[in-house]
Amino acid sequence: MFSIYKKDLQGYFFTPFAYIVTGLFLFMFTFVFNGSLGTLDQATFYFSFANTFYNVIIMFIFLIPIITMRTFADERKFGTEVLLMTSPINVVQIVLGKYLANITLFLFMLACSLFFPIYASFKGEVVMSQLICAYLGFFLWGAMYIAIGQLVSSFVENSILAAILGEIVMFVFLFIDDFTMTDFIAQYPGLQSALYSFAAQPRFAYFSQGFIRLSDIVFFLSAIIVCLVWNYISIEKRRWNRG
Amino acid sequence: MITIENLTKYYGNNRAVNNISFTINDNEILGFLGPNGAGKSTTMNMIAGYLPMTAGKVTIFGSDVSKEPVKAKKNLGYLPEIPPVYPDMRVREYLSFCAGLKRIPITKKSKEIARVMELLKITDVKDKLIKNLSKGYKQRVGFAQALLGNPKFLILDEPTVGLDPKQVAEVRSLIKDLKKEHTVIFSSHILSEVSAVCDRVVIINKGDIKAIDTIENLEKQTGGSLTLHIRIKGSRTTAAELISKNEGVKEIAKTNAEGDDTYEFIAEIEGDGDVVKNNIMRDLLNNNIQISDIFTEKPDLESVFVKLINSGTSGGMKELFNEYRDDMVAAQAEELKKEGNE
Repeated sequence: MFSIYKKDLQGYFFTPFAYIVTGLFLFMFTFVFNGSLGTLDQATFYFSFANTFYNVIIMFIFLIPIITMRTFADERKFGTEVLLMTSPINVVQIVLGKYLANITLFLFMLACSLFFPIYASFKGEVVMSQLICAYLGFFLWGAMYIAIGQLVSSFVENSILAAILGEIVMFVFLFIDDFTMTDFIAQYPGLQSALYSFAAQPRFAYFSQGFIRLSDIVFFLSAIIVCLVWNYISIEKRRWNRG
Repeated sequence: MITIENLTKYYGNNRAVNNISFTINDNEILGFLGPNGAGKSTTMNMIAGYLPMTAGKVTIFGSDVSKEPVKAKKNLGYLPEIPPVYPDMRVREYLSFCAGLKRIPITKKSKEIARVMELLKITDVKDKLIKNLSKGYKQRVGFAQALLGNPKFLILDEPTVGLDPKQVAEVRSLIKDLKKEHTVIFSSHILSEVSAVCDRVVIINKGDIKAIDTIENLEKQTGGSLTLHIRIKGSRTTAAELISKNEGVKEIAKTNAEGDDTYEFIAEIEGDGDVVKNNIMRDLLNNNIQISDIFTEKPDLESVFVKLINSGTSGGMKELFNEYRDDMVAAQAEELKKEGNE
């Protein structure tokens, strides 16, 4: 597992890839940060960052698939899947090794974004409780999206296709709660509550307000586990269907 | 020892490999021979545990590939048809990754990598990106990967494809050397390669085994007969009479008229070819028939191969083939019975 983790990390950090993605992330963060400065509470100069993160999440839809699109699609394209599958390791280790590598890159991006709250704390007051909770929620959401992206990447051989499909799925996850609020869905309360239980956004809202609720953590963790297990199944299944 | 029992693979309704069984003995090089699309790669992928089999069992030194994959794969080095290399990695980096996958202890890692690079003669490209290497080098990097950790069992799927003649010779002698410590199964559609390297051959076509035997036996099994070619000038009927009356001549298979009273006879003979040849020459010359050419031809592996692929049945192999067919029929009958019961 460690060797796959290390190989993927090398693929990110020994090439410009990690730095370009992180740069793009910070570039977007800057825009959102600037925008939220305008809405700052003038009387107190409190930075809560909740809104900033809220808006940055939309950018996840474009960033996370870029990270995850190659995860399994490229292994297939280069025929290196054979190497992994005929080595004395099992598929669980392959999936986890790759997932941890993606998470590490994501953590690197988050660490770089700490620049903004640190900078803000010099110029004003940062609400620490909200900041920490928002980061936790942000991390969980990203970890879930990475699991989704990785899953989509195991479905297809073309990494661009994996990125686009991933974007669509993530888009659905982001806006499913808005969708459930439409009049059409509201006609069917059962359907509405069922769909609403998949909505990640209201759960993130709690984090950004400084609440850590067990149910929200469970939501994100279970979504991650479901995706990873599905990831495992899809790889195993493809071996059977090949040809 | 590696045993392959009743291995079958269906892709949907397409049967790629049909109920094949054979064993590979320790320190043996087994050639796996067949035309393109015969099911060679599919079989190898199944033996390596990459593709699951529809039915059957593969045991590598006592471990079942599908039941104890990790244990079985510890003894396995596999070079697939397309070398499984990452284009964006450097050769040394790649081998180091593979060493990690194969769980080679860190203390032995660099020594082991140096060893395989030396064996495959890729030390000079160790810092190059794999995508910048030629096909032959990529192939050898893939081969080096298979040798990492000195696994007891090696599966080599067309290891010499894409190499230049000098490299082919080097790789062949390397495979021969590997025999000392390893058990090798090695596929190819090039006959001379197989006859140069392997102890035994499995010939496969359209998913069926056509023959399993040593190369000498395969050559013998075409009947041990020789083909005699004679080109003469003179009376056709007299010549034919003289040739066919000779002991050892089974029959004149073919007579070609080449004009100007020149004929070519192609005859099948048995026994000592030289004696028969001398007798025929003496008879013909005594009867004033000019001989412009006479030679005997041994059936080579090539013709054995073609014959087997085309008909699949001859002599001892016929029995062998029937045996497998009977097995197959029995298995099918059993299946039908099962379905009937359900």
